[in-house]
Amino acid sequence: MAGQLLLYFTAAGHTLYRWRGGRLLLEGNFSADDAGAAGFREYLKGREGALAQIVADVGGEDFHEDQIPYLRGAERQAVIDRRLAQRYRDARLATALSLGYVADERRNERLLLASFNDARQFVPWLEVLEKARVRLAGVFSAPLLAPALAARLGVKSGVCLVMSANRAGLRQCFLDNGRLRFARLERIAERGFTSVFVRTETERMLQYLGTLHALPRNGPPLRVLLVVADEERAHFERTLGRGAGLAFTTISLSEAARKTGLRVAPEGSAAEQLYLQIAALQPPREQFLRGEDRRRFLTWRVQRSIVAAGTAGFVTCGAYAATLWLEQLVVRERIESVKIDTAQARDQLERVRARFPAAPTTIENLKSTALEFRGIAARSASPEDALEHVSRALDRSPQIELDALTWSAGSEPPQTLEISGRVSATRRSDYRAVTEVVQRFSALLAGDPAWRIVSMRLPFDVSPDGVLSGGTGAGAESSDAPRFAISIARTKG
Amino acid sequence: MRAISRPLAVPAVAFVLLLVAGVALFWTSRHSLAQQHRRLAAAQADRRHVAERLLRIGHEEREVRDHVELYQRLKDLRILGDERRLEWVEALARIRAARELLDLRYQVERQKVLKTLPGSPAGFELRSSSMNVELALLHEGDLLRFLEDLRISGNAYYSVRQCTLTRVGPAPSAGSLAPRLRGICQIDLITLSEGKAGA
Repeated sequence: MAGQLLLYFTAAGHTLYRWRGGRLLLEGNFSADDAGAAGFREYLKGREGALAQIVADVGGEDFHEDQIPYLRGAERQAVIDRRLAQRYRDARLATALSLGYVADERRNERLLLASFNDARQFVPWLEVLEKARVRLAGVFSAPLLAPALAARLGVKSGVCLVMSANRAGLRQCFLDNGRLRFARLERIAERGFTSVFVRTETERMLQYLGTLHALPRNGPPLRVLLVVADEERAHFERTLGRGAGLAFTTISLSEAARKTGLRVAPEGSAAEQLYLQIAALQPPREQFLRGEDRRRFLTWRVQRSIVAAGTAGFVTCGAYAATLWLEQLVVRERIESVKIDTAQARDQLERVRARFPAAPTTIENLKSTALEFRGIAARSASPEDALEHVSRALDRSPQIELDALTWSAGSEPPQTLEISGRVSATRRSDYRAVTEVVQRFSALLAGDPAWRIVSMRLPFDVSPDGVLSGGTGAGAESSDAPRFAISIARTKG
Repeated sequence: MRAISRPLAVPAVAFVLLLVAGVALFWTSRHSLAQQHRRLAAAQADRRHVAERLLRIGHEEREVRDHVELYQRLKDLRILGDERRLEWVEALARIRAARELLDLRYQVERQKVLKTLPGSPAGFELRSSSMNVELALLHEGDLLRFLEDLRISGNAYYSVRQCTLTRVGPAPSAGSLAPRLRGICQIDLITLSEGKAGA
């Protein structure tokens, strides 16, 4: 059965509750004698390993202020253990609550040593728990839980008196800045829980605190937080109020339970349900159980921490793996999408390929053959153009007669044409006219920008570098027509 | 020490097992994700490759059409394949007769391999035979028509390298058919056929 067991321990009898998720369920009532312990033992049979806590609400709780040097760690704990041993004859159920440091050079730590005047009443019950192999987390008293309860009820600083009508009696806890300083339990007399009783007991507490110099002089009225049953709240609020250095604030039990997070409490339980809720939900570090008595619980806690750490590691790795897995899903979707795109493109490619003309040979053969022959065709030339070009110039040069034409194809220039001929119908001795006829013919040949003159040999060398020979007179006239040679090249393929 | 360690042994084992399981889960997921990323990269590369092929294929289609057309023309002209010297001789004789050329002499040299076509799996070789032609002509138009007829006759690609026209006599009188010009041409007869390795 899940949840933890809470034993409400009073002088009159003990009540066992099971706490689970803000619900307090009554498990049983046990008398404070041996018969009760036997019944408790019987109840715990078969509940080995259950988690349990004791909340003591008994009178005779001792509170003593002390100071120890400013220490830390094991040294501090050793000094505290020594002080507790000095103070209490049976220090098995004793604790020390830090009240802060003294504001002087030595910075001594102020401690509130707390224990029960009669710790023997707990012994049989602790033995029962130990024998039943129950994991006892701690032994608390209502005063140790009071600071957390006050904080839940809205009081976190200043001096305050938290009072509640518990089944054990009227519980009074004096807090200073959220720290317990003193507490007492007053049994509710037969005349009942009345406003007069509350005021009387509060004034007694006030007087005692005055003797301890725990209250500031000429300070504001002491704030008193009183938790009462719902049906009594209106009455107490009306009759208590302010006065005699006290300022009462009355809170109904249901409202206090709501503030502490307690959702369900057994019928007939009084304000102790609040302390039980705090013990289960927000147990303070300070409690009475020490050493070997907590071994089973501490071992269980270490075991749980180890498994929790392993689980946390597994969950962390698992969570990260889950994100990677989700990322993997996204990547897989992308892969599928890319594959679909590729398949579509491939189909399209096949359709285009199907349209290809039937090739007589492989594509590579086709390509290399076509490229090679296109190159050859581009490099090859034909003499037709050259002959036509010369023919056009000849048509406009009637005195020119050709003897020979040599056309050649090459790479640079792509075509050359060597022309040799003579000048007729002109007197050989008329050098100027002969030269002009050849030069005009040459100009016609060079008139097409696709052709250029490479060299020209005139019938008479009239250049300054050449040798000019000839004669004048009847003997100088020859029957041979003057000959020339012109070489032209095509500038463009 | 033993009293403490014994109750902690089971949780410690559980801790180790949980941690190992977690790490294994993490490692497996990471490994699997890396694998998926590699698959994605491969699929993307494949898609890119196909897309590039698709972009090129239109151009290739046009190119192949052009190539096929040219290849077919070359084939029709019997330029592809082994050279056909007998066909050449017959073509020259046919042209001479058709054009009534007064004289036509020729000499075809030994065939040479010009080059092996790069990228051709069949090892196609470009071969050339050099031919010298000497013609007796009435006028230069005879030479041009001869060359034109030669090209049309096929059996090789005719690449004219040089032509010389020389006057050989005076202008003929009316009705005389004496040659006036001599034409000498050097022509490469180019064919394409499978190389010896490919043959």
